[in-house]
Amino acid sequence: MLRVDNVRKVFESARGNYVALDGVSLDIVDGEFLCLLGPSGCGKSTLLNILAGFEPVTAGKVTANGAPVIRAGRDRVMFFQDAGSALFPWLTAAENVRFGLRVRKVPKGEWNAVVDNYLQMVDLDRHRDKFPAELSGGMRQRLQIARALAVEPAVLLMDEPFAALDALTRRRMHSVLLEIWQRTGKTIVFVTHDIAEAIALADRIGMMSVGPRSVITKVLDIDLPRPRDLGNPQVARLFNEIEALLAPDLALSDELAK
Amino acid sequence: MVNVPDGRAALYAARSWAGMLLRALREFATRGNKRALLLTTASLLIAFLGWQFLSTFVFNPFLIPPPVEVIRTAIPMVASGEILTDVSISMVRVLVGFLTGSLVGIVTGVLLGRIRFLHDLLDPIIELLRYLSPTAMIPIAVIWFGIGEMSKYFLIFWGTFFIVVINTVAGVWRTPIARQRAAECLGANRLQIFVLVVIPSAVPYIVTGMRVAMASSFMSIIPAEILAADSGIGYLLQKSSMLLQTNRIFVALLTICLLGFLVDRIFRLFVDWVLARYMAFVSVS
Repeated sequence: MLRVDNVRKVFESARGNYVALDGVSLDIVDGEFLCLLGPSGCGKSTLLNILAGFEPVTAGKVTANGAPVIRAGRDRVMFFQDAGSALFPWLTAAENVRFGLRVRKVPKGEWNAVVDNYLQMVDLDRHRDKFPAELSGGMRQRLQIARALAVEPAVLLMDEPFAALDALTRRRMHSVLLEIWQRTGKTIVFVTHDIAEAIALADRIGMMSVGPRSVITKVLDIDLPRPRDLGNPQVARLFNEIEALLAPDLALSDELAK
Repeated sequence: MVNVPDGRAALYAARSWAGMLLRALREFATRGNKRALLLTTASLLIAFLGWQFLSTFVFNPFLIPPPVEVIRTAIPMVASGEILTDVSISMVRVLVGFLTGSLVGIVTGVLLGRIRFLHDLLDPIIELLRYLSPTAMIPIAVIWFGIGEMSKYFLIFWGTFFIVVINTVAGVWRTPIARQRAAECLGANRLQIFVLVVIPSAVPYIVTGMRVAMASSFMSIIPAEILAADSGIGYLLQKSSMLLQTNRIFVALLTICLLGFLVDRIFRLFVDWVLARYMAFVSVS
């Protein structure tokens, strides 16, 4: 279980301090699919970076199964929006997946089986010898999933992973991700600013207020069966509800931009 | 007042022309495209004929010896092995200086790129010294190392080192944060991130630095040999100039052109052959 307890995050710079998060608390249950939803600049990526151990907190506490999170841990793997920079372009798809096994000193004899297994899971086994530059955007994101799963983390942290994909590919990625989640039982923390995406995926949606001094304003339980189509009146009602909740923050976000 | 739309149109036109030229060159380089090969041959033929025409009918053939004359001069120089000796002497000097300069430059650049303190401490020195071209260093190099091989190695090293350092630092710095963090999540320690992620990510920048440094080496060896040597292509130039042998000067100049072209080709073949996978560029999304 990941526990975020009254976390405050201040970015210090020569132009002054910026209080990004101010009193964020959240419990993330093992095996759940949690979406962090909020307008741009609400600090959701900051919170994710803190969960990953990339950023230290200014005050408060983050723990993973009781142990404080102070650096990137092998139980939590981050998944990035820009696969072009996150993948290793000089390694083939199979070699990208192998990287984690290699640095974790998994016995060499097991590499091929693990690599095959996860490439198959994301339907890339036919492309194992291609370089990232030879893959499409959606394939690169699937490769990132395979690479992350290969080191068998308990938690996947995903920072708007599909925001740069076209709508069709994104829908396909949603079902791929949900299927993998259901099959493997990973905990997923998924950051997005897209309401429909959050509804399609999440067990719970943590709504964040616009910064500075962001907090989690509300956590919604989504009890609807998947797949959740916007044509379904219950889903549509939920969409409108969330949109209404976000509306003041969106206006504020515009105001701040001015 | 500059008319903005017109200016832009001109810019776009220039850009598309430059793009076409680049594409043609790339096609020629990669596929040995027939059309490009034909055009290159035509281009060289035009140059040859133009040169012949100018030196025969417009200028004094003594000042600009016609190509046929230059070739006639070159044949015995090649046959006797004279030109080959000079070429190999110059090439060894360039290679020794270039390779040691690149090696030391890469190691220094990688360290400066990774260790902020070291960079802030040493960068001002590099920023000042790099304005001293190898040519400016010839007088002191001769006093330090004499007119033997060592002074040439030093001068080429000097010209190579700074270019490679600056490019390597840039390459290390441009390694995407996401890539380093991804490696960290997958379980890589700091040393592994450095060796397995940062250095491979910097390779394209290092290669570019080395290609620029290679060209600069070719430009530095000639003045070094003109001013302080008793062998090499530069010395051949200087000697021929003293004796007013314009034919031989042109043979030497032509040799430099061909040599530079050839060496860059070989370097690129090497890069394509050994480093291809590191040169790939993955665009965003």
